[in-house]
Amino acid sequence: MPFPPINPNLSGPVLTQRIPCWPYADPKGRHIVSYEEYTRPGPHGAGYESLRKAIGMKPDAVTEEVKKSVLRGRGGAGFPTGLKWTFLPKLKTSEAGQEDDPGQRYLAINADESEPGTFKDRLLMDFDPHLMLEGIAICCYACRIKTAYIFIRGEYHHQAKVLENALREAYANGIFGGNGLLNGANTARGGAFKVDCYVHRGAGAYICGEETGLLEALEGKRGWPRIKPPFPAIKGLFGKPTIINNVETLAHLPSIIHHGAEWFMKQGKVSTFPNTPPSHGTKLMGVSGHVNRPGVFELELGITLRQLIEDPGLCAGMRNGKKFKGAIAGGISMGILGPDQMDAEMDFDIGRKNNVLGLGTACPTVFDEDTDMVAVARNIARFFKHESCGQCTPCREGSGWLYQLLTRIEGGDGRTKDLDLALEIATSMGSMPGTTICGLADGNNWAVRTIMNKYRSEFEKRVKPTSVAVKMTVGAGAR
Amino acid sequence: MPWISKNSAGNAVEKRAEPYLTPQMRSHLSQHIVPRYEQKMGALLPCLHEIQHAYGWIPGQAMLEIAEFLAIKPAEVIDTASFYEEYWLKRKGKHLVSVCRSIACEFCGQPGITQAVKDALGIDVGETTDDNEFTLIELECLGSCGSAPAILIDETLHENVKPEQIAGLLDAARKAGAHH
Repeated sequence: MPFPPINPNLSGPVLTQRIPCWPYADPKGRHIVSYEEYTRPGPHGAGYESLRKAIGMKPDAVTEEVKKSVLRGRGGAGFPTGLKWTFLPKLKTSEAGQEDDPGQRYLAINADESEPGTFKDRLLMDFDPHLMLEGIAICCYACRIKTAYIFIRGEYHHQAKVLENALREAYANGIFGGNGLLNGANTARGGAFKVDCYVHRGAGAYICGEETGLLEALEGKRGWPRIKPPFPAIKGLFGKPTIINNVETLAHLPSIIHHGAEWFMKQGKVSTFPNTPPSHGTKLMGVSGHVNRPGVFELELGITLRQLIEDPGLCAGMRNGKKFKGAIAGGISMGILGPDQMDAEMDFDIGRKNNVLGLGTACPTVFDEDTDMVAVARNIARFFKHESCGQCTPCREGSGWLYQLLTRIEGGDGRTKDLDLALEIATSMGSMPGTTICGLADGNNWAVRTIMNKYRSEFEKRVKPTSVAVKMTVGAGAR
Repeated sequence: MPWISKNSAGNAVEKRAEPYLTPQMRSHLSQHIVPRYEQKMGALLPCLHEIQHAYGWIPGQAMLEIAEFLAIKPAEVIDTASFYEEYWLKRKGKHLVSVCRSIACEFCGQPGITQAVKDALGIDVGETTDDNEFTLIELECLGSCGSAPAILIDETLHENVKPEQIAGLLDAARKAGAHH
């Protein structure tokens, strides 16, 4: 069955224009893009020229352009980026046209990519760090932010070094620090605008990927998410207005500023639901698991999961000719797409159309027919039990119990009533708004619940009737 | 039974005359790192990283020194340090072998990798070899799901690892000398 063309509205890659990716080029040719290489002219403008164009515009005009493009956050929640920026406190302009001093505001870049199955931001940080740095500079100018912190996870040792080097290059070439952006160039806002950017390394905690957990870690505290409101745009890092954006979101900014919002809106697709923001632009989709050619691909939103897996230019089919059994929609907290949902379109409507939590990071993990789905559920439950920060009781206790139940079922010592108990936990834990601070428990729920519902027979085969006495393998009564 | 309180290790801190936070570290941190943050405590994670990198773990005395250096309370330092997995508050081996056990790795051959490391070193997950060379742990997602299974030895990531490569990788780490 022939597939429609890949990226029909584009002549080539955008985010990965300097990083070889299938189907455009062999990933073997990848190398770290230096400042000098980044500033060479390309199909989406020369590097840092978009920043020059941006500072020639009023900050609010930049925000307006991003808002118009409906660039949605690439970190998982899909919140419109331009809209998020407008939540910052408004600034008064004097009669002479001079804007009030915005005071201290912060940008926190979320590079804490710890969701299992997700490895897309890493590609950008590994090979083309300046793309993100240019996005940071544009965002800082549009939001009048003077200090940006790149919060990168502790496990990314190599990427942190690449970023540090790239920052050194950017500082040496007058992008950051010194007299102001682009060697103190005059901005449309009036005068130069100085931005500082630093790398801040995390230390191995998934919860720091939650935006307020990340802020706590930046303040040197435990990564415990905060209760909202106040929202970070009003009161964030050190109590100051703060914007938190994902690496990939920021990497989209240079091309949007260069080509304009209309160009961006030609890609992807609009929502079929009324009053729902569209899914424009390309997305880095990282496929892992049992496919012939796993890796990161840059694709327009709306491509089907089937094409992503079977297209010879992309994943080139299932490994060893096996049958498709299921795929995690995009990072494990999003839930699973079953064998009958292979035609799901990878866009921000995927959750409503296919009964999963959402698109997440658009990085599916694919399973073949030989995969034990009970083990998949147990692996996911173990992850959430391990990463629950322990602040809210439903999540701290529920994730532990869920893991124990699933371990018992996997070991063959589960009882029929354990299935109902596990499902009950996976339906109620933190589901009611306000019972947990962040969405970690909800991610755990969606993952376990969708697996248990879609592969119920596999679970039933493993359990014994409730009337049979079973060995306790976990919990207080364990051997 | 949680209500029977156990006599814990107490709060005595093992001390040595020589400081862990050396004058060089102090001047580097106070010149380049601390000014980045509006509040001094923001520099706590970088300070802990510095100690962890230099010694392979974070001794109690070092936490006291950091508290004094950042003008915060020792309790605040241990509160943060005990939350993050990457900080070792107990001694570990010279080299840390971390096997990724998350979803893509587990279903693409991670159990065989863990077994190969266990066999090569003669230890279980969470243990340290008798010669204090290697500590083996399993951790969650290393971010190389597309090239699973992955293993992190010290600060070097190895992807698409096969069990038969493990002995060679461990030997290379041993030869590379202490690196935290």
